Amino acid sequence: MPLDAPIRAEFVALLGDQDVIDDPVRTRTYECDGLTGNRVVPELVLLPRTADDVAGCVRICARHRIPFVARGAGTGLSGGALPVADGVVIGLNRLNRVLEVDPENRRAVLEPGVTNLEITAAAAPHGLYFAPDPSSQQVCTIGGNVAENSGGAHCLKYGFTTNHVLSVEVVLPDGSLVTLGSDSAEQQGPDLRGVFLGSEGTLGVVTKVTVRLLRTPEVMRTLLADFPSVAAGGQVVSDIVAAGIVPAAVEMMDALAIEAAEGATGAGYSLDTPAALVVELDGTVEECDEQFAQVKEICDRHGCTRLHVAGSPAERAKIWRGRKAAFAAVGRISPDYIVQDGVVPRTRLAEVLERIEQMGSEAGLRVANVFHAGDGNLHPLVLFSAAAGETERAEELSSAIAELCVEMGGSLSGEHGIGTDKACSMPKMFGEEDLAVMDRLRSAFDPDRICNPGKLLPTPRLCGEKPGHYRPHPLEEAGLIERL
Amino acid sequence: MTRAAPTTLRPTTPKEVRDAVLDTPGRLAITGAGTARHWAGRPAGVDATLDLSGLSGVIAHNPGDMTVSVHAGTPLRALQDELAAHGQRLALDAARVARGATVGGLVATADAGPSALVYGGMRDLVIGATTVLADGTMVRSGGHVIKNVAGYDVAKLMHGSYGTFGPLVEVVLRLHPAPRATTCVAVDGPVDRAAEHVLRLMASPLEPIAVEWLSGEPGRLLVRLEGGERTLPARVARLVELLGDGAREVDGAAAWDAHAALTAGSGAAPDAAVVRIGCAPRTLAPLIGRLPATAVTAGLATGVATVTVPATAVPEVHDTVAAAGGTSVLRDRPASAEVPAWGPAPSSLALLRAVKTRLDPDARFAPGRFDPWM
Ligand SMILES: Cc1cc2nc3c(=O)[nH]c(=O)nc-3n(C[C@H](O)[C@H](O)[C@H](O)COP(=O)(O)OP(=O)(O)OC[C@H]3O[C@@H](n4cnc5c(N)ncnc54)[C@H](O)[C@@H]3O)c2cc1C
Ligand SMILES: Cc1cc2nc3c(=O)[nH]c(=O)nc-3n(C[C@H](O)[C@H](O)[C@H](O)COP(=O)(O)OP(=O)(O)OC[C@H]3O[C@@H](n4cnc5c(N)ncnc54)[C@H](O)[C@@H]3O)c2cc1C
Repeated sequence: MPLDAPIRAEFVALLGDQDVIDDPVRTRTYECDGLTGNRVVPELVLLPRTADDVAGCVRICARHRIPFVARGAGTGLSGGALPVADGVVIGLNRLNRVLEVDPENRRAVLEPGVTNLEITAAAAPHGLYFAPDPSSQQVCTIGGNVAENSGGAHCLKYGFTTNHVLSVEVVLPDGSLVTLGSDSAEQQGPDLRGVFLGSEGTLGVVTKVTVRLLRTPEVMRTLLADFPSVAAGGQVVSDIVAAGIVPAAVEMMDALAIEAAEGATGAGYSLDTPAALVVELDGTVEECDEQFAQVKEICDRHGCTRLHVAGSPAERAKIWRGRKAAFAAVGRISPDYIVQDGVVPRTRLAEVLERIEQMGSEAGLRVANVFHAGDGNLHPLVLFSAAAGETERAEELSSAIAELCVEMGGSLSGEHGIGTDKACSMPKMFGEEDLAVMDRLRSAFDPDRICNPGKLLPTPRLCGEKPGHYRPHPLEEAGLIERL
Repeated sequence: MTRAAPTTLRPTTPKEVRDAVLDTPGRLAITGAGTARHWAGRPAGVDATLDLSGLSGVIAHNPGDMTVSVHAGTPLRALQDELAAHGQRLALDAARVARGATVGGLVATADAGPSALVYGGMRDLVIGATTVLADGTMVRSGGHVIKNVAGYDVAKLMHGSYGTFGPLVEVVLRLHPAPRATTCVAVDGPVDRAAEHVLRLMASPLEPIAVEWLSGEPGRLLVRLEGGERTLPARVARLVELLGDGAREVDGAAAWDAHAALTAGSGAAPDAAVVRIGCAPRTLAPLIGRLPATAVTAGLATGVATVTVPATAVPEVHDTVAAAGGTSVLRDRPASAEVPAWGPAPSSLALLRAVKTRLDPDARFAPGRFDPWM
């Protein structure tokens, strides 16, 4: 049932006319997130400016049972912020103030629309930083990071968003405003904050976040090392960890990813190597120096063909620029690509990469690999050409790779989330009982199922449809037919 | 009063736990080693006690992946011994580990020790868990990899649940390498001076693993450093210089034993109670000064402290801590003390009740633990 005029009037009475968007040209801006294959134009887009406004919007939705979807920067790669037809999108970008930076207690209080990088920018003058660093950190919001429990290159040593959030203020789906977590590490009763973190916008809307800040390390040492094979690189990762060293980051790229990144950024990667590792250590001068020597020795032992140590902060930044640009750069070597996100136990990296290569050649598609090797978090990029009719094959290969990760004792997702993209794969990882309990938990937060419905957990409707990404038929795009 | 439960069931496999839950009508208590028997709310009467100490042992340890899965009744002390043989550890040093606390019990009570400063608590170390619910459902969440965002993190829900959602039967943990060298530096002085030391220490690049103040005459600040055998002495020297004031390296084992004893309230008067409090780190030292504490261990960089107070003062402690924006929970107390276990209820109480209703609709598990909240 489309939202009728009286309901729109309620939102307008609350927010004002200019912050309730129903102009189809403008609502279309919100039709998808980073998973651009799935699009649904929302009925209304609401742009509240305060937490009370957010609560007011949700209360109206609750009263009329209108589904709502919270949205940060829309960089999500699993379709978490995909609008619901006949529902509203609540955009949080206007709640974008850094409310407090408290260096003595090493924390910051933020509105949800603050970007990840702005947190560190606000903390840096105090010698502090916010550890979780997704590659999208220039634009993605802390609200989105909380919803996705985002990670980044430095999460191997420092943990994920959930390990850095002390408390969240959230509007629950009935419109009530509650705080989950507290000001200290001490916890009162069950960790509802921990349940909310990574819940992909399905349990409520974040309106305020208190995060922990860490002290900027005394030194950072970064090296780039080439190896004769992906397996040799994988072995280096295992040996570093076995030596009792926890690097700040260990990233791996294969030949195809290197080709793309180097072409885009000129970061100084070797174009003729099958695999390269970026290893970063941080900490005190004494510990870093000793461990750095050990890491170099381990690299040599595994046939390292070139070892380049960043000699200056500028050189370090250059190495990271190449790595962080790798996804986007793949666009240079392929007209289309799908970013997959799965995790395997670190010790099975070599094996799983071999299987992926095999599966790629069977499907007649190239797969580039650039990933967080230290946590076993793979990002296979399946390259294809939609124009050449390869889309379906690419989507099948991508899903098969995610499910292969589960088979190897890993997970369907390490950081991008389940969203709409992989909801139908959840039964590969969890049993019926597990999923039913997750559903019970969800219904404790959202008995009327209006908070980002259709995400994260498989629903018969969602999974009954043909697997793969929804793409509108040209007649649908022309507005001549519509799927119901 | 804790009464002797009519039946004690001692399952030794997850399936037996499930059968016990399904076949035993009425209300159930869950026990591990009993080290936190009196913590939180006073258990109400139950029809049977599910003793999980027989559900013990490592299920799978993957040294290369630095993960281990264990039965929930496994004493952490025993697990640490096994891990040490591989140069690994679970980075959790709660005081009661030495007394045999089980992995499940440590998760259920959200307990942690001084190294939570760097490693967090069990919530940060658990990567997967299996729990039996009141209707016999076995729910598994998480997995065996450290990075995982598939589905809701149900294991976190169990963290701090005090058994009220059901028995944990299996826990998967993230491990860390055991440090090659560890040392402890101490400096004597009262809590406010210690707090100033900690402020400078945390602004320095020295990366302490634990920073705790112990009450006494005049009180003592303990700082733990970890690192390589060859590199540690240089950092110790930097630390001693930074603290000044007679700071020196001390015998770590003895110093941390003393800390654990104070945390547990050992040697306190028979009418004393132990309360765990948490607040913003810089609020802690002044807050402690306002409490009628006879013994204190204070994580001046984490904001978590354990204080021993006369049992009659517990309501006042809850109020004072709440007024400072902190949280508090009662731990050990005299059998006769009728005092509230928790401070003011959080704004999320209705949500907590809704979760309890969905998972345990007949309120079978651990009645009384969240008294007076629910
Ligand atoms: C180039 C690129 C690189 C990326 N690299 C990484 C990476 O390294 N690591 C990583 O983890 N992710 C990465 N991502 C994915 C994405 O950036 C993260 O998931 C990010 O946290 C999403 O934030 P957002 O503000 O864009 O959220 P959106 O995309 O707007 O929303 C994501 C989800 O969060 C919910 N949400 C948003 N705001 C709120 C709120 N205030 N309250 C409740 N729910 C909310 C939405 O409903 C949705 O389910 C990358 C994405 C891109 C495009
Ligand atoms: C004779 C007797 C009668 C008792 N009567 C009651 C009673 O009427 N009501 C009642 O609630 N308790 C009762 N208990 C249980 C007891 O009060 C505590 O719950 C228990 O002894 C604490 O055990 P524990 O220290 O495991 O220590 P810990 O192992 O330190 O556990 C402390 C807390 O964690 C919970 N817990 C421990 N292991 C697990 C696990 N694997 N999964 C989930 N939660 C776990 C416990 O329930 C408790 O809340 C009784 C115990 C005994 C020995």
